[in-house]
Amino acid sequence: MKINYSNSNLMKTTKFFLGVFFCLTLITSCSDDDTPPPVLEEELITNVTLTFTNDADATDVVVMGSVAPDGQDGASTEVITGSFTANATYSLNLAITNASETPPEDVLNDDIIPEGDEHFFVYAVNGINLTMSRDSDDEDGADGNKLGVKTTWVAGAAGTGNVQITLVHEPEGADDSDEWGSVTGGSEDLNITFTGAEIQ
Amino acid sequence: MKHNLLIVVMFIFSTYHAQSCKYTFIGEVTDFHDGSPMSGATVHIESLNRYTTADINGKFSIKNLCNGKLILVISHVGCETNRIEIDIIGDTFKKIDMEHHLEELDEVSLRNKGTKTTKTAQETVIKDDVLERYSSLSLGDALKEVPGVSSINTGNTIVKPMINGLHSSRILILNNSVRLQDQEWGIEHAPNIDINSANQISVIKGAGALAYGGDAIGGVVVIKPSKIVQKDTLFGRTILGAQTNGRGYNISSTLNKNYSSGWFTQLQGSYRKNGDFHAPDYNLTNTGLDSKGFSARFGKTAFQSGFEAYYSYLNNEIGILSASHIGSVFDLKRAINTGQPTVIKDFSYDINAPKQDITHHLAKASYYKRFSNFGKVTFQYDYQNNRRLEFDVRIGDRKNTPAIDLTLQTHTILADLNLDANLNRKFNFGIMGRYQDNFANPDTGVRRLIPDYDKYDFGVYTTTEWRIKNDLVVDTGIRYDFNRIDAKKYYRKSRWEERGYDDDFSDIIIEELPTQYLTNPIFDYHNLSASVGAKFYLNDKSYVIGNYALSSRPPNPSELFSDGLHHSAARFELGDLRFDKEVSNRVSASYNYNTPKFNLSAEIFYNKIEDFIYLIPFDFISTIRGPFPFWEYQQANTELYGIDINATYNLTNNWQLQNRTSFIRGYDLENHIPLIEMPPFNTMNQVTYKNTTWHNFSASLKSEWVSEQNEYPDFNFEVTDQLTGEKCEIDISTPPPAYHLLHFYSEATFNLSEKTSLNVSFGINNLLDTSYRNYLNQLRYFADDLGRNVTLQIQLNY
Repeated sequence: MKINYSNSNLMKTTKFFLGVFFCLTLITSCSDDDTPPPVLEEELITNVTLTFTNDADATDVVVMGSVAPDGQDGASTEVITGSFTANATYSLNLAITNASETPPEDVLNDDIIPEGDEHFFVYAVNGINLTMSRDSDDEDGADGNKLGVKTTWVAGAAGTGNVQITLVHEPEGADDSDEWGSVTGGSEDLNITFTGAEIQ
Repeated sequence: MKHNLLIVVMFIFSTYHAQSCKYTFIGEVTDFHDGSPMSGATVHIESLNRYTTADINGKFSIKNLCNGKLILVISHVGCETNRIEIDIIGDTFKKIDMEHHLEELDEVSLRNKGTKTTKTAQETVIKDDVLERYSSLSLGDALKEVPGVSSINTGNTIVKPMINGLHSSRILILNNSVRLQDQEWGIEHAPNIDINSANQISVIKGAGALAYGGDAIGGVVVIKPSKIVQKDTLFGRTILGAQTNGRGYNISSTLNKNYSSGWFTQLQGSYRKNGDFHAPDYNLTNTGLDSKGFSARFGKTAFQSGFEAYYSYLNNEIGILSASHIGSVFDLKRAINTGQPTVIKDFSYDINAPKQDITHHLAKASYYKRFSNFGKVTFQYDYQNNRRLEFDVRIGDRKNTPAIDLTLQTHTILADLNLDANLNRKFNFGIMGRYQDNFANPDTGVRRLIPDYDKYDFGVYTTTEWRIKNDLVVDTGIRYDFNRIDAKKYYRKSRWEERGYDDDFSDIIIEELPTQYLTNPIFDYHNLSASVGAKFYLNDKSYVIGNYALSSRPPNPSELFSDGLHHSAARFELGDLRFDKEVSNRVSASYNYNTPKFNLSAEIFYNKIEDFIYLIPFDFISTIRGPFPFWEYQQANTELYGIDINATYNLTNNWQLQNRTSFIRGYDLENHIPLIEMPPFNTMNQVTYKNTTWHNFSASLKSEWVSEQNEYPDFNFEVTDQLTGEKCEIDISTPPPAYHLLHFYSEATFNLSEKTSLNVSFGINNLLDTSYRNYLNQLRYFADDLGRNVTLQIQLNY
């Protein structure tokens, strides 16, 4: 007798809870069919272009371009067009953009230069006779140094080698006294090497 | 109202029949859980001050009664005394239920007794007196009291428990019978538990406890709040603590109000904070923590039925070592080569990016009813909301926008039927349904690490426990789980093709964008788990346990969908949609010897895991941040085996020696390499002096030896410095050298009054300020572990 009573009670409660569960599942599955929007990626850098223009001859241009369609998280391709003329002086024009947006977002002018005190460009070459200096009207960078956006490059004797550009975010210490620049600490937002640059 | 009416009616009756005192009351005393008669029960007729005893059939009679109220106090050896009022209306018969087996029915456990949850699993219980020492630390720290349990850390405040070499999704954590759902798949995702809300923690190695889940390949951690005592009482506890390392402080308070009617309420709150920790030689900049916890319980507990409502809140803001934020493998190489963090600043309480800010809400309602000669039915509903914000080092206005913003909501209902009418043949059945929704906020401006998904789980289980003989208990269980994950994920076209999904999963694309596909993967998993175990008492001092458990775990969202950069490890991590569940076969055996002088527990296990999912490096990619290694989740057959020993020896009444040792090995049987991040051999030796006559004074000196891990996979990689063409090796694999630490701890308790006592404890961790690095700390590339820490804690019990 007692067991019967308890069983029917149990059945009732079980039915109730099962009911609650099915309602819950129905409600949630109906309301949740919306499609998530794609994320508008910020801080994405897809194109880094270094354009060297001969101060004496505006048609003498060397372009080093790095393209990474998926930004920092994807593969990149580096291409150099043109070659330096021995003993000529070049001004470097830097462009850092996010081409995944239309029109492309100017990361250099919108994000990096306004936060110059947290950034620092470091350049390096290997096997090629190039020297560089930071212009007097260069932007302000970390630790009271010149950021390295406006620079002048001098090509020496003919040869072939590599050119590297590094952008360091929040370096602990930065030093531009040798013009190329050096840092301690921080994290590298860019580290691109263009191989096979040529001086003719 | 009804009751009042009854009394009025009774009153009228009794006045009418007051003169005729010739009625007989017959009572029958039965054992509630199985209905058996309780012979020999003592019956005290309080209103008449007479005594009688129940006969062999549990029956007794009282003659020459008048109509009216009769108060009986029935007692029986081993039972809770039962005081009842009976209304006599003429000759009356009443069946009186007593419960003789409260302990066997898990209804009563004396304070500090440390009741185990399982019979034949390798289970260790940590009691409140030990947990109180960890008031300023985390769950993962406290669990290391159990031999064979270590932790995988990210710094010193993100501490994930690791049981016999396994962690994260392979460990279930139950907080007040609610399975924690807090994105536990991530190695930097510490369990959202406030240790101060726990009264007892059980660690069960392996998947022996099927009622909690079938996927506990590593083990189960069962966290229980304090048991409710059925009496009128108000008591509480307040803990205040301070630590020198990190200039930390913590406060925690618990207040309990119980009534003899079974009603209870409990409130608990805690707050802890620390600033930058320091290693022996430098500050660990940005390692502060700010933690707030609150929980409330109320309900009614009685033998036959009861309910509970529970809510807990926990918010942790955790700073992550500044120096661990790196951009490229060259940064990682510099960090490894310099041997000290690249960012060292003066002490501060500030918590800056990188940091985590996690909020966890847990609400639960449960109800149980016990039916005579049948068993106990329990229903439970719980809801959890876990919000995880991770702030990365970003530029511009985005500084205050998290890079990860995930909200995980989980609803679970549970029904459990425990048939314990026959204490020698207990059966347990249960059914579970769960719905989970993950939402990844797109406003982060960073691609989603984990996609939006809905997850449905359904489980049924049955377990049984047979006492074959007095010295032999056998238990067995089987469980089936169904899991469905229904996600909406964006894949970059380049990744989609690189993974080869264009061949296998072209049908799940629901929308094409210029550079990416929106896909709708829906996967179903069927998991079967089972366990069988036996416990045999060799004699009154020792017993052996043998256990076999089969468990299977479906891949977690991270293993399926990962697709991005893991910052502090400077690597890409890729999941795989093709994964199937991993299946573990674990056999274990334990030997226990207990005498007042000497205690020994030795546990061995062998765990063969098919299709074990773990990360392996496989390729390189050239990015605008330089070359990056690619790591992908792979499935491989693996084996783990080990032994854990715990021994205590009382030299005299005052002096005690303790040893805790564990040894484990793990191998990938397909690639013929050791498994990564296996705890190295470690042994702890402790000498304790105790004197109960000096205010329960105790002092102990602990020596902790952790050897170098010699069995590790060589995942070092070479990168070419593209500028110079030089090759350099990045040594991410070599484990740090062995280390030895000394710790001191002492405490005393002062009774302030009959009901209040004050416990004062003083400790020094890393007494010699030894510099060391821990193989199981993810930040070991960047900085040393903690230096000396002097702690003081005051606990007031009232």
